[in-house]
Amino acid sequence: MFRKVLIANRGEIALRINRAAHELGVQTVAIFSEADRQSQHVRFADEAYCVGPGPVMRSYLNIPNIISAALISGADAIHPGYGFLAENARFAEIARDHGLVFIGPAPAVISAMGDKATARRLMAEAGVPTTPGSDIVASVDEARTTAEAIGYPVLLKATAGGGGKGMRAVYEPGELETAFATAQAEAEASFKDGRMYVEKLIIQPRHIEVQVLGDEHGNVVHLGERDCSIQKPSHQKLIEEAPAPVLPEGVRDRLHATAIAACRAVNYTNAGTLEFLVSGEQVYFMEMNTRIQVEHPVTEMVYGVDLVKEQIRIAAGEALGVTQAELHPSGHAIEVRVNAEDPEHNFAPAAGTLGRVEFPGGPGVRVDTHVYGGATIPPYYDSMIAKIIAHGATREAAIARMERALSETRIEGVKTTIDFCRDVLRDPAFRAAGVGVEWLKTDFMPSRHVALPV
Amino acid sequence: MFDETIARRVRPLAEAFRDAALVRLTVREDDFELEFRRAGALGSTAPATADTESLAVVPASGAVPEVLTSDVVGVVRFMRPPATEGQRLEGDRDLAFVETLGIRNPVRFRGSGTLAAVFVTDGQPVEYGQPLFAIER
Repeated sequence: MFRKVLIANRGEIALRINRAAHELGVQTVAIFSEADRQSQHVRFADEAYCVGPGPVMRSYLNIPNIISAALISGADAIHPGYGFLAENARFAEIARDHGLVFIGPAPAVISAMGDKATARRLMAEAGVPTTPGSDIVASVDEARTTAEAIGYPVLLKATAGGGGKGMRAVYEPGELETAFATAQAEAEASFKDGRMYVEKLIIQPRHIEVQVLGDEHGNVVHLGERDCSIQKPSHQKLIEEAPAPVLPEGVRDRLHATAIAACRAVNYTNAGTLEFLVSGEQVYFMEMNTRIQVEHPVTEMVYGVDLVKEQIRIAAGEALGVTQAELHPSGHAIEVRVNAEDPEHNFAPAAGTLGRVEFPGGPGVRVDTHVYGGATIPPYYDSMIAKIIAHGATREAAIARMERALSETRIEGVKTTIDFCRDVLRDPAFRAAGVGVEWLKTDFMPSRHVALPV
Repeated sequence: MFDETIARRVRPLAEAFRDAALVRLTVREDDFELEFRRAGALGSTAPATADTESLAVVPASGAVPEVLTSDVVGVVRFMRPPATEGQRLEGDRDLAFVETLGIRNPVRFRGSGTLAAVFVTDGQPVEYGQPLFAIER
Protein backbone atom coordinates (compact mmCIF):
# COMPACT_ATOMS: atom_id res chain seq x y z
CA MET A 1 0.00 0.00 0.00
CA PHE A 2 1.06 3.58 -0.60
CA ARG A 3 2.55 5.65 2.20
CA LYS A 4 1.36 9.03 0.96
CA VAL A 5 -1.08 10.14 -1.78
CA LEU A 6 -1.30 13.58 -3.36
CA ILE A 7 -4.88 14.61 -4.15
CA ALA A 8 -4.86 16.70 -7.34
CA ASN A 9 -8.28 18.24 -6.88
CA ARG A 10 -10.41 20.50 -4.69
CA GLY A 11 -13.88 20.62 -3.14
CA GLU A 12 -15.97 17.68 -2.04
CA ILE A 13 -14.11 15.08 -4.12
CA ALA A 14 -10.76 16.08 -2.59
CA LEU A 15 -12.30 15.56 0.85
CA ARG A 16 -13.86 12.27 -0.26
CA ILE A 17 -10.44 10.97 -1.38
CA ASN A 18 -8.81 12.31 1.79
CA ARG A 19 -11.27 10.27 3.87
CA ALA A 20 -10.71 7.07 1.89
CA ALA A 21 -6.92 7.45 2.15
CA HIS A 22 -6.99 8.09 5.89
CA GLU A 23 -9.23 5.07 6.45
CA LEU A 24 -6.61 2.99 4.60
CA GLY A 25 -3.87 4.44 6.82
CA VAL A 26 -2.41 6.46 3.94
CA GLN A 27 -1.16 10.02 4.51
CA THR A 28 -2.51 12.77 2.27
CA VAL A 29 -1.13 15.84 0.51
CA ALA A 30 -3.58 18.52 -0.61
CA ILE A 31 -2.97 21.08 -3.33
CA PHE A 32 -4.86 24.37 -3.41
CA SER A 33 -5.14 27.66 -5.25
CA GLU A 34 -4.85 31.02 -3.51
CA ALA A 35 -8.67 31.24 -3.71
CA ASP A 36 -9.02 27.96 -1.76
CA ARG A 37 -6.67 28.68 1.14
CA GLN A 38 -9.55 28.36 3.65
CA SER A 39 -11.03 25.27 2.03
CA GLN A 40 -11.82 22.17 4.07
CA HIS A 41 -9.82 19.91 1.77
CA VAL A 42 -6.72 21.83 2.84
CA ARG A 43 -7.58 21.65 6.53
CA PHE A 44 -8.11 17.88 6.66
CA ALA A 45 -5.04 16.86 4.65
CA ASP A 46 -1.80 15.96 6.43
CA GLU A 47 0.07 18.59 4.40
CA ALA A 48 -0.85 21.08 1.71
CA TYR A 49 0.84 23.10 -1.03
CA CYS A 50 -0.39 26.20 -2.80
CA VAL A 51 0.11 25.52 -6.53
CA GLY A 52 -1.07 28.79 -8.07
CA PRO A 53 -3.59 31.62 -8.18
CA GLY A 54 -7.38 31.14 -8.52
CA PRO A 55 -7.76 30.54 -12.27
CA VAL A 56 -7.58 26.80 -12.98
CA MET A 57 -5.04 27.03 -15.81
CA ARG A 58 -2.49 28.34 -13.33
CA SER A 59 -3.37 26.12 -10.35
CA TYR A 60 -5.45 22.94 -10.62
CA LEU A 61 -4.28 22.39 -14.22
CA ASN A 62 -0.67 23.46 -13.52
CA ILE A 63 1.01 20.12 -14.18
CA PRO A 64 4.63 21.13 -13.29
CA ASN A 65 3.62 22.62 -9.93
CA ILE A 66 1.37 19.67 -9.05
CA ILE A 67 4.01 17.06 -9.95
CA SER A 68 6.61 19.12 -8.08
CA ALA A 69 4.37 19.22 -4.98
CA ALA A 70 4.08 15.43 -5.15
CA LEU A 71 7.85 15.05 -5.41
CA ILE A 72 8.85 17.46 -2.64
CA SER A 73 6.23 16.00 -0.28
CA GLY A 74 7.47 12.47 -0.91
CA ALA A 75 4.10 11.23 -2.17
CA ASP A 76 4.15 7.91 -4.02
CA ALA A 77 0.82 8.25 -5.86
CA ILE A 78 -1.57 10.88 -7.26
CA HIS A 79 -5.36 10.65 -7.15
CA PRO A 80 -6.85 13.01 -9.76
CA GLY A 81 -10.52 12.91 -8.63
CA TYR A 82 -12.89 13.99 -11.43
CA GLY A 83 -12.62 16.94 -13.82
CA PHE A 84 -9.34 18.93 -13.99
CA LEU A 85 -6.57 16.43 -14.92
CA ALA A 86 -8.52 13.22 -14.26
CA GLU A 87 -8.76 12.24 -17.94
CA ASN A 88 -5.54 13.85 -19.13
CA ALA A 89 -3.38 11.02 -20.48
CA ARG A 90 -0.35 13.32 -20.68
CA PHE A 91 -0.59 14.09 -16.96
CA ALA A 92 -0.84 10.38 -16.17
CA GLU A 93 2.27 9.78 -18.29
CA ILE A 94 4.24 12.61 -16.69
CA ALA A 95 3.34 11.31 -13.24
CA ARG A 96 4.53 7.84 -14.20
CA ASP A 97 7.76 9.22 -15.67
CA HIS A 98 8.49 10.85 -12.30
CA GLY A 99 8.02 7.60 -10.42
CA LEU A 100 4.50 8.44 -9.21
CA VAL A 101 1.57 6.04 -9.51
CA PHE A 102 -1.42 7.62 -11.25
CA ILE A 103 -4.59 6.30 -9.58
CA GLY A 104 -6.56 5.45 -12.71
CA PRO A 105 -6.23 3.37 -15.84
CA ALA A 106 -3.14 3.24 -18.08
CA PRO A 107 -2.43 6.45 -20.06
CA ALA A 108 -3.07 4.65 -23.39
CA VAL A 109 -6.55 3.61 -22.21
CA ILE A 110 -7.37 7.15 -20.99
CA SER A 111 -6.23 8.46 -24.35
CA ALA A 112 -8.24 5.94 -26.39
CA MET A 113 -11.45 6.48 -24.39
CA GLY A 114 -11.00 10.25 -24.28
CA ASP A 115 -11.18 10.45 -28.05
CA LYS A 116 -14.82 9.69 -28.71
CA ALA A 117 -14.42 8.53 -32.31
CA THR A 118 -11.63 6.10 -31.27
CA ALA A 119 -13.69 4.87 -28.32
CA ARG A 120 -16.70 4.18 -30.58
CA ARG A 121 -14.53 2.23 -33.01
CA LEU A 122 -12.89 0.15 -30.24
CA MET A 123 -16.27 -0.59 -28.70
CA ALA A 124 -17.83 -1.54 -32.04
CA GLU A 125 -14.91 -3.96 -32.61
CA ALA A 126 -15.60 -5.49 -29.19
CA GLY A 127 -19.21 -6.10 -30.18
CA VAL A 128 -20.58 -3.26 -28.04
CA PRO A 129 -23.59 -1.62 -29.73
CA THR A 130 -22.98 2.02 -30.64
CA THR A 131 -25.35 4.52 -32.19
CA PRO A 132 -25.32 4.34 -36.02
CA GLY A 133 -22.93 6.97 -37.27
CA SER A 134 -19.64 7.86 -38.86
CA ASP A 135 -15.96 8.03 -38.07
CA ILE A 136 -14.39 11.51 -38.33
CA VAL A 137 -15.96 13.41 -41.25
CA ALA A 138 -13.60 15.53 -43.32
CA SER A 139 -16.16 18.11 -44.43
CA VAL A 140 -19.74 19.28 -44.17
CA ASP A 141 -20.46 17.39 -47.42
CA GLU A 142 -19.25 14.15 -45.87
CA ALA A 143 -21.42 14.89 -42.83
CA ARG A 144 -24.41 15.35 -45.14
CA THR A 145 -23.77 12.04 -46.90
CA THR A 146 -23.62 10.24 -43.53
CA ALA A 147 -26.75 12.00 -42.26
CA GLU A 148 -28.68 10.91 -45.36
CA ALA A 149 -27.44 7.33 -45.00
CA ILE A 150 -28.48 6.95 -41.33
CA GLY A 151 -31.52 9.25 -41.56
CA TYR A 152 -32.40 12.47 -39.72
CA PRO A 153 -32.43 13.57 -36.95
CA VAL A 154 -28.68 13.35 -36.35
CA LEU A 155 -26.25 14.63 -33.79
CA LEU A 156 -23.05 16.41 -34.84
CA LYS A 157 -20.39 15.79 -32.19
CA ALA A 158 -16.82 16.94 -31.64
CA THR A 159 -14.52 14.00 -31.00
CA ALA A 160 -12.82 15.99 -28.22
CA GLY A 161 -16.18 17.23 -26.89
CA GLY A 162 -17.75 17.09 -23.49
CA GLY A 163 -20.30 18.89 -21.32
CA GLY A 164 -22.52 19.53 -24.36
CA LYS A 165 -19.87 21.70 -26.08
CA GLY A 166 -19.23 21.09 -29.77
CA MET A 167 -22.52 19.22 -30.11
CA ARG A 168 -25.60 20.10 -32.21
CA ALA A 169 -28.82 18.25 -32.96
CA VAL A 170 -29.90 18.51 -36.61
CA TYR A 171 -33.53 17.65 -37.41
CA GLU A 172 -33.66 18.65 -41.09
CA PRO A 173 -31.14 18.72 -43.95
CA GLY A 174 -31.44 22.53 -44.23
CA GLU A 175 -30.04 23.01 -40.70
CA LEU A 176 -26.93 20.91 -41.26
CA GLU A 177 -24.50 23.44 -42.73
CA THR A 178 -24.95 26.13 -40.05
CA ALA A 179 -25.00 23.58 -37.21
CA PHE A 180 -21.79 21.97 -38.48
CA ALA A 181 -19.99 25.31 -38.70
CA THR A 182 -21.04 26.50 -35.21
CA ALA A 183 -20.35 23.15 -33.51
CA GLN A 184 -16.93 22.93 -35.15
CA ALA A 185 -16.05 26.52 -34.19
CA GLU A 186 -17.12 25.80 -30.61
CA ALA A 187 -14.96 22.65 -30.52
CA GLU A 188 -11.96 24.55 -31.96
CA ALA A 189 -12.37 27.23 -29.30
CA SER A 190 -12.97 24.89 -26.35
CA PHE A 191 -10.73 21.92 -27.14
CA LYS A 192 -8.38 23.16 -29.90
CA ASP A 193 -9.68 20.19 -31.90
CA GLY A 194 -12.40 20.72 -34.51
CA ARG A 195 -12.69 17.12 -35.73
CA MET A 196 -16.35 16.15 -35.95
CA TYR A 197 -18.39 12.97 -36.38
CA VAL A 198 -22.05 12.27 -37.01
CA GLU A 199 -24.35 9.90 -35.16
CA LYS A 200 -28.04 9.10 -35.12
CA LEU A 201 -30.02 11.21 -32.65
CA ILE A 202 -31.94 8.90 -30.36
CA ILE A 203 -35.24 10.54 -29.37
CA GLN A 204 -35.98 10.81 -25.63
CA PRO A 205 -33.36 8.26 -24.54
CA ARG A 206 -32.55 7.58 -20.92
CA HIS A 207 -28.97 8.05 -19.72
CA ILE A 208 -27.97 4.85 -17.96
CA GLU A 209 -24.39 4.12 -16.98
CA VAL A 210 -22.63 1.07 -15.58
CA GLN A 211 -19.96 1.26 -12.86
CA VAL A 212 -17.01 -1.07 -13.33
CA LEU A 213 -13.84 -1.95 -11.41
CA GLY A 214 -10.89 -3.80 -12.88
CA ASP A 215 -7.63 -4.80 -11.19
CA GLU A 216 -4.16 -5.55 -12.54
CA HIS A 217 -4.71 -9.29 -12.08
CA GLY A 218 -7.38 -9.59 -14.79
CA ASN A 219 -10.44 -9.36 -12.52
CA VAL A 220 -13.31 -7.18 -13.72
CA VAL A 221 -16.63 -6.63 -11.93
CA HIS A 222 -19.60 -4.35 -12.47
CA LEU A 223 -21.48 -2.62 -9.67
CA GLY A 224 -24.79 -2.27 -11.44
CA GLU A 225 -26.14 0.78 -13.17
CA ARG A 226 -27.19 4.34 -12.40
CA ASP A 227 -29.96 6.29 -14.06
CA CYS A 228 -28.78 9.87 -14.69
CA SER A 229 -31.60 11.06 -16.94
CA ILE A 230 -32.52 14.10 -14.85
CA GLN A 231 -30.29 16.60 -16.62
CA LYS A 232 -30.27 20.37 -16.91
CA PRO A 233 -30.83 21.89 -20.38
CA SER A 234 -26.99 21.99 -20.63
CA HIS A 235 -27.00 18.17 -20.28
CA GLN A 236 -25.31 18.34 -16.88
CA LYS A 237 -26.66 15.78 -14.46
CA LEU A 238 -28.76 17.01 -11.54
CA ILE A 239 -30.38 13.96 -9.91
CA GLU A 240 -29.06 10.40 -10.16
CA GLU A 241 -30.29 7.09 -8.81
CA ALA A 242 -29.30 3.45 -8.49
CA PRO A 243 -30.48 1.00 -9.57
CA ALA A 244 -32.19 2.29 -12.75
CA PRO A 245 -35.95 1.93 -12.24
CA VAL A 246 -38.42 0.34 -14.69
CA LEU A 247 -36.01 -1.18 -17.22
CA PRO A 248 -37.51 -3.57 -19.78
CA GLU A 249 -36.86 -7.27 -19.15
CA GLY A 250 -33.32 -8.28 -20.10
CA VAL A 251 -31.96 -4.76 -20.63
CA ARG A 252 -30.29 -4.58 -17.22
CA ASP A 253 -28.39 -7.84 -17.71
CA ARG A 254 -27.45 -6.81 -21.24
CA LEU A 255 -26.01 -3.49 -19.97
CA HIS A 256 -23.94 -5.27 -17.33
CA ALA A 257 -22.63 -7.93 -19.71
CA THR A 258 -21.79 -5.29 -22.33
CA ALA A 259 -19.86 -3.23 -19.80
CA ILE A 260 -17.79 -6.22 -18.71
CA ALA A 261 -17.04 -7.17 -22.34
CA ALA A 262 -15.98 -3.59 -23.11
CA CYS A 263 -13.58 -3.52 -20.14
CA ARG A 264 -12.03 -6.83 -21.10
CA ALA A 265 -11.56 -5.60 -24.68
CA VAL A 266 -9.34 -2.70 -23.56
CA ASN A 267 -7.77 -4.41 -20.48
CA TYR A 268 -9.38 -1.76 -18.32
CA THR A 269 -7.99 -1.22 -14.82
CA ASN A 270 -9.25 0.89 -11.89
CA ALA A 271 -12.74 2.46 -11.63
CA GLY A 272 -14.62 3.43 -14.77
CA THR A 273 -18.08 4.15 -16.06
CA LEU A 274 -19.66 3.18 -19.37
CA GLU A 275 -22.40 5.57 -20.38
CA PHE A 276 -25.28 4.25 -22.50
CA LEU A 277 -28.34 5.72 -24.14
CA VAL A 278 -31.32 3.44 -23.60
CA SER A 279 -34.43 3.77 -25.75
CA GLY A 280 -37.04 1.09 -25.17
CA GLU A 281 -35.09 -2.14 -25.45
CA GLN A 282 -32.31 -0.57 -27.53
CA VAL A 283 -28.97 0.02 -25.82
CA TYR A 284 -26.27 2.25 -27.38
CA PHE A 285 -22.76 2.86 -26.05
CA MET A 286 -22.12 6.60 -25.69
CA GLU A 287 -18.76 7.03 -23.96
CA MET A 288 -16.54 5.70 -21.21
CA ASN A 289 -15.34 7.87 -18.33
CA THR A 290 -11.98 6.67 -17.07
CA ARG A 291 -12.27 8.12 -13.55
CA ILE A 292 -14.45 8.27 -10.44
CA GLN A 293 -17.79 10.00 -11.18
CA VAL A 294 -19.57 12.71 -9.22
CA GLU A 295 -22.53 10.36 -8.69
CA HIS A 296 -20.50 7.38 -7.42
CA PRO A 297 -22.09 7.52 -3.91
CA VAL A 298 -25.46 6.12 -5.08
CA THR A 299 -23.63 2.96 -6.17
CA GLU A 300 -21.70 2.85 -2.89
CA MET A 301 -24.94 3.11 -0.89
CA VAL A 302 -26.60 0.28 -2.81
CA TYR A 303 -23.59 -2.08 -3.01
CA GLY A 304 -21.82 -1.27 0.26
CA VAL A 305 -18.47 -0.89 -1.55
CA ASP A 306 -16.13 2.07 -1.05
CA LEU A 307 -15.20 2.83 -4.68
CA VAL A 308 -12.46 5.33 -3.84
CA LYS A 309 -10.74 2.89 -1.48
CA GLU A 310 -10.96 0.27 -4.22
CA GLN A 311 -9.32 2.73 -6.64
CA ILE A 312 -6.40 3.24 -4.28
CA ARG A 313 -6.05 -0.46 -3.52
CA ILE A 314 -6.13 -1.38 -7.22
CA ALA A 315 -3.50 1.27 -8.07
CA ALA A 316 -1.30 -0.18 -5.31
CA GLY A 317 -1.40 -3.51 -7.16
CA GLU A 318 -3.84 -5.29 -4.87
CA ALA A 319 -6.50 -7.66 -6.19
CA LEU A 320 -10.15 -6.59 -6.08
CA GLY A 321 -11.64 -6.93 -2.60
CA VAL A 322 -14.89 -8.35 -4.01
CA THR A 323 -16.01 -10.89 -6.61
CA GLN A 324 -19.05 -10.54 -8.88
CA ALA A 325 -20.84 -13.28 -6.95
CA GLU A 326 -20.50 -11.26 -3.73
CA LEU A 327 -21.97 -8.09 -5.23
CA HIS A 328 -25.71 -7.70 -4.70
CA PRO A 329 -27.61 -4.41 -4.78
CA SER A 330 -29.63 -3.61 -1.69
CA GLY A 331 -32.44 -1.06 -1.77
CA HIS A 332 -32.41 2.18 -3.73
CA ALA A 333 -30.32 5.36 -3.54
CA ILE A 334 -30.85 8.86 -4.94
CA GLU A 335 -28.41 11.76 -5.17
CA VAL A 336 -29.32 15.43 -5.47
CA ARG A 337 -26.63 17.87 -6.58
CA VAL A 338 -26.77 21.07 -4.59
CA ASN A 339 -25.34 23.71 -6.92
CA ALA A 340 -24.82 27.40 -6.22
CA GLU A 341 -26.97 28.25 -9.22
CA ASP A 342 -30.23 30.03 -9.95
CA PRO A 343 -32.69 27.57 -11.56
CA GLU A 344 -35.02 30.48 -12.36
CA HIS A 345 -32.35 32.02 -14.59
CA ASN A 346 -31.07 29.10 -16.65
CA PHE A 347 -28.97 27.75 -13.75
CA ALA A 348 -26.62 30.73 -13.81
CA PRO A 349 -23.78 30.06 -11.37
CA ALA A 350 -23.52 32.26 -8.29
CA ALA A 351 -20.32 33.05 -6.40
CA GLY A 352 -20.32 34.68 -2.99
CA THR A 353 -20.10 34.11 0.73
CA LEU A 354 -22.42 31.67 2.43
CA GLY A 355 -24.44 32.65 5.47
CA ARG A 356 -26.06 29.98 7.63
CA VAL A 357 -25.45 26.43 6.41
CA GLU A 358 -27.26 23.37 7.80
CA PHE A 359 -27.06 19.91 6.32
CA PRO A 360 -29.41 16.96 7.01
CA GLY A 361 -28.63 13.84 8.99
CA GLY A 362 -30.43 10.80 10.31
CA PRO A 363 -30.79 7.25 8.98
CA GLY A 364 -29.90 6.58 5.36
CA VAL A 365 -28.67 10.09 4.59
CA ARG A 366 -25.16 10.95 3.40
CA VAL A 367 -23.78 14.42 2.66
CA ASP A 368 -20.58 14.95 0.68
CA THR A 369 -19.60 18.60 0.80
CA HIS A 370 -16.74 21.00 1.38
CA VAL A 371 -18.75 24.09 2.36
CA TYR A 372 -19.67 25.46 5.77
CA GLY A 373 -21.31 28.57 7.22
CA GLY A 374 -19.27 31.61 6.19
CA ALA A 375 -17.36 29.79 3.45
CA THR A 376 -16.71 31.72 0.26
CA ILE A 377 -17.50 30.26 -3.15
CA PRO A 378 -14.79 31.44 -5.55
CA PRO A 379 -15.92 32.34 -9.07
CA TYR A 380 -13.31 30.14 -10.77
CA TYR A 381 -14.69 26.66 -10.17
CA ASP A 382 -17.63 24.33 -10.60
CA SER A 383 -20.82 25.50 -8.91
CA MET A 384 -21.56 22.22 -7.12
CA ILE A 385 -21.32 22.81 -3.35
CA ALA A 386 -22.78 19.58 -1.96
CA LYS A 387 -24.19 16.19 -2.81
CA ILE A 388 -27.03 14.84 -0.70
CA ILE A 389 -27.60 11.10 -0.98
CA ALA A 390 -30.56 9.19 0.47
CA HIS A 391 -30.89 5.41 0.68
CA GLY A 392 -34.08 3.43 1.34
CA ALA A 393 -35.39 -0.11 1.03
CA THR A 394 -37.42 0.90 -2.04
CA ARG A 395 -37.39 3.77 -4.54
CA GLU A 396 -40.44 5.27 -2.80
CA ALA A 397 -38.68 5.10 0.58
CA ALA A 398 -35.55 6.71 -0.88
CA ILE A 399 -37.58 9.56 -2.42
CA ALA A 400 -39.43 10.16 0.86
CA ARG A 401 -36.14 10.18 2.72
CA MET A 402 -34.63 12.63 0.22
CA GLU A 403 -37.60 14.97 0.58
CA ARG A 404 -37.17 14.85 4.33
CA ALA A 405 -33.39 15.46 3.99
CA LEU A 406 -33.87 18.45 1.67
CA SER A 407 -36.45 19.93 4.06
CA GLU A 408 -33.73 19.94 6.77
CA THR A 409 -31.17 21.63 4.51
CA ARG A 410 -30.54 25.38 4.76
CA ILE A 411 -28.01 27.23 2.64
CA GLU A 412 -28.15 31.00 2.91
CA GLY A 413 -26.20 33.54 0.90
CA VAL A 414 -26.51 32.05 -2.59
CA LYS A 415 -29.31 30.66 -4.76
CA THR A 416 -29.26 26.85 -4.92
CA THR A 417 -30.91 23.95 -6.74
CA ILE A 418 -32.49 22.57 -3.54
CA ASP A 419 -36.07 23.80 -4.00
CA PHE A 420 -35.97 22.99 -7.71
CA CYS A 421 -34.93 19.41 -6.95
CA ARG A 422 -37.66 19.08 -4.28
CA ASP A 423 -40.21 19.97 -6.95
CA VAL A 424 -38.72 17.35 -9.30
CA LEU A 425 -39.04 14.70 -6.56
CA ARG A 426 -42.75 15.53 -6.20
CA ASP A 427 -43.50 15.39 -9.92
CA PRO A 428 -45.81 12.50 -10.93
CA ALA A 429 -43.72 11.68 -14.03
CA PHE A 430 -40.52 11.46 -11.93
CA ARG A 431 -42.36 9.31 -9.39
CA ALA A 432 -43.62 7.03 -12.15
CA ALA A 433 -39.92 6.72 -13.23
CA GLY A 434 -38.25 6.15 -16.57
CA VAL A 435 -38.24 9.71 -18.00
CA GLY A 436 -35.73 10.61 -20.73
CA VAL A 437 -32.81 13.03 -20.72
CA GLU A 438 -34.84 15.87 -22.28
CA TRP A 439 -37.75 15.54 -19.83
CA LEU A 440 -36.54 18.18 -17.40
CA LYS A 441 -36.16 20.78 -20.14
CA THR A 442 -39.14 19.97 -22.33
CA ASP A 443 -41.75 18.83 -19.80
CA PHE A 444 -40.88 19.63 -16.22
CA MET A 445 -39.48 23.15 -16.50
CA PRO A 446 -42.30 24.58 -18.66
CA SER A 447 -44.94 23.13 -16.32
CA ARG A 448 -43.19 23.81 -13.03
CA HIS A 449 -45.01 27.01 -12.17
CA VAL A 450 -48.42 25.89 -13.42
CA ALA A 451 -49.69 23.47 -10.81
CA LEU A 452 -47.68 21.46 -8.35
CA PRO A 453 -49.12 19.09 -5.78
CA VAL A 454 -48.48 20.41 -2.30
CA MET B 1 -10.20 48.72 28.00
CA PHE B 2 -7.05 47.62 26.20
CA ASP B 3 -8.03 43.97 26.63
CA GLU B 4 -11.40 44.68 25.06
CA THR B 5 -9.72 46.43 22.14
CA ILE B 6 -7.51 43.39 21.63
CA ALA B 7 -10.45 41.02 21.71
CA ARG B 8 -12.82 43.00 19.57
CA ARG B 9 -10.62 44.82 17.08
CA VAL B 10 -7.13 43.38 17.03
CA ARG B 11 -7.85 39.66 17.09
CA PRO B 12 -9.96 39.56 13.90
CA LEU B 13 -7.26 41.57 12.13
CA ALA B 14 -4.57 39.31 13.51
CA GLU B 15 -6.40 36.22 12.29
CA ALA B 16 -6.91 37.74 8.86
CA PHE B 17 -3.21 38.61 8.73
CA ARG B 18 -2.19 35.14 9.83
CA ASP B 19 -4.20 33.54 7.02
CA ALA B 20 -3.11 35.94 4.31
CA ALA B 21 0.19 35.72 2.41
CA LEU B 22 1.41 39.01 3.87
CA VAL B 23 4.62 39.85 5.63
CA ARG B 24 3.60 43.17 7.11
CA LEU B 25 0.24 44.87 7.58
CA THR B 26 -0.28 48.36 8.99
CA VAL B 27 -3.70 49.45 10.23
CA ARG B 28 -4.41 53.09 11.12
CA GLU B 29 -7.66 54.18 12.72
CA ASP B 30 -8.69 57.38 14.53
CA ASP B 31 -7.56 56.34 17.97
CA PHE B 32 -4.94 53.68 17.33
CA GLU B 33 -2.39 52.38 14.92
CA LEU B 34 -0.87 48.95 14.78
CA GLU B 35 1.34 46.92 12.55
CA PHE B 36 1.58 43.16 12.09
CA ARG B 37 4.74 41.45 10.97
CA ARG B 38 5.63 37.81 10.55
CA ALA B 39 7.61 36.97 13.66
CA GLY B 40 11.30 36.84 12.87
CA ALA B 41 10.60 37.86 9.30
CA LEU B 42 11.94 41.39 9.54
CA GLY B 43 14.32 41.11 12.46
CA SER B 44 11.92 42.87 14.81
CA THR B 45 13.18 43.54 18.32
CA ALA B 46 10.02 45.15 19.67
CA PRO B 47 8.29 43.25 22.46
CA ALA B 48 5.20 41.38 21.42
CA THR B 49 2.00 42.58 23.02
CA ALA B 50 -0.55 40.24 21.44
CA ASP B 51 0.66 36.89 20.19
CA THR B 52 -1.45 34.81 17.88
CA GLU B 53 0.64 31.97 16.54
CA SER B 54 3.37 33.30 14.32
CA LEU B 55 2.82 37.03 14.50
CA ALA B 56 3.50 39.93 16.80
CA VAL B 57 2.05 43.40 17.20
CA VAL B 58 4.82 46.01 17.09
CA PRO B 59 4.92 49.78 16.84
CA ALA B 60 4.52 51.13 13.33
CA SER B 61 7.69 52.19 11.61
CA GLY B 62 9.41 52.65 8.26
CA ALA B 63 8.51 51.78 4.70
CA VAL B 64 6.81 48.53 3.74
CA PRO B 65 9.41 46.21 2.23
CA GLU B 66 9.08 44.60 -1.13
CA VAL B 67 8.74 40.84 -0.96
CA LEU B 68 10.03 38.41 -3.59
CA THR B 69 7.86 35.30 -3.70
CA SER B 70 8.12 31.96 -5.47
CA ASP B 71 6.21 31.65 -8.75
CA VAL B 72 6.42 27.86 -8.70
CA VAL B 73 6.38 24.84 -6.40
CA GLY B 74 9.86 23.43 -5.94
CA VAL B 75 13.09 23.51 -3.97
CA VAL B 76 14.86 26.83 -3.36
CA ARG B 77 18.63 26.96 -3.99
CA PHE B 78 20.70 30.02 -3.03
CA MET B 79 23.26 31.44 -5.44
CA ARG B 80 26.91 31.29 -4.27
CA PRO B 81 27.90 33.13 -2.23
CA PRO B 82 24.44 33.48 -0.65
CA ALA B 83 23.19 37.01 0.05
CA THR B 84 22.75 37.69 3.76
CA GLU B 85 20.32 39.82 5.75
CA GLY B 86 21.40 43.46 5.93
CA GLN B 87 23.48 43.17 2.78
CA ARG B 88 23.39 46.14 0.37
CA LEU B 89 22.37 45.05 -3.16
CA GLU B 90 23.26 47.10 -6.24
CA GLY B 91 22.22 46.14 -9.78
CA ASP B 92 20.23 43.22 -11.12
CA ARG B 93 21.20 39.81 -9.84
CA ASP B 94 19.70 36.37 -9.11
CA LEU B 95 19.43 35.72 -5.37
CA ALA B 96 18.35 32.13 -5.83
CA PHE B 97 16.46 29.79 -8.10
CA VAL B 98 13.55 27.49 -7.42
CA GLU B 99 14.03 24.11 -9.02
CA THR B 100 10.89 22.47 -10.43
CA LEU B 101 11.16 19.16 -12.28
CA GLY B 102 14.77 19.93 -13.18
CA ILE B 103 14.03 23.46 -14.42
CA ARG B 104 15.72 26.38 -12.64
CA ASN B 105 13.35 29.31 -12.14
CA PRO B 106 15.45 32.35 -11.17
CA VAL B 107 14.48 34.65 -8.28
CA ARG B 108 15.70 38.00 -9.58
CA PHE B 109 16.49 41.17 -7.66
CA ARG B 110 16.36 44.40 -9.66
CA GLY B 111 17.58 47.92 -8.87
CA SER B 112 19.18 48.73 -5.53
CA GLY B 113 18.24 48.17 -1.92
CA THR B 114 18.99 46.28 1.24
CA LEU B 115 18.17 42.62 1.80
CA ALA B 116 15.94 43.05 4.85
CA ALA B 117 15.03 39.42 5.39
CA VAL B 118 15.61 35.89 4.12
CA PHE B 119 12.54 33.76 4.85
CA VAL B 120 13.80 30.40 3.62
CA THR B 121 16.81 28.16 4.00
CA ASP B 122 18.88 26.72 1.18
CA GLY B 123 17.29 23.47 -0.09
CA GLN B 124 13.90 24.15 1.45
CA PRO B 125 10.72 23.07 -0.44
CA VAL B 126 8.55 26.09 -1.24
CA GLU B 127 5.01 26.53 -2.55
CA TYR B 128 3.51 29.01 -5.00
CA GLY B 129 3.43 32.52 -3.55
CA GLN B 130 5.74 31.71 -0.63
CA PRO B 131 7.81 34.74 0.51
CA LEU B 132 11.53 34.18 -0.14
CA PHE B 133 13.26 37.56 0.41
CA ALA B 134 12.28 41.04 1.64
CA ILE B 135 13.94 44.12 0.17
CA GLU B 136 14.04 47.60 1.75
CA ARG B 137 14.43 50.23 -0.94
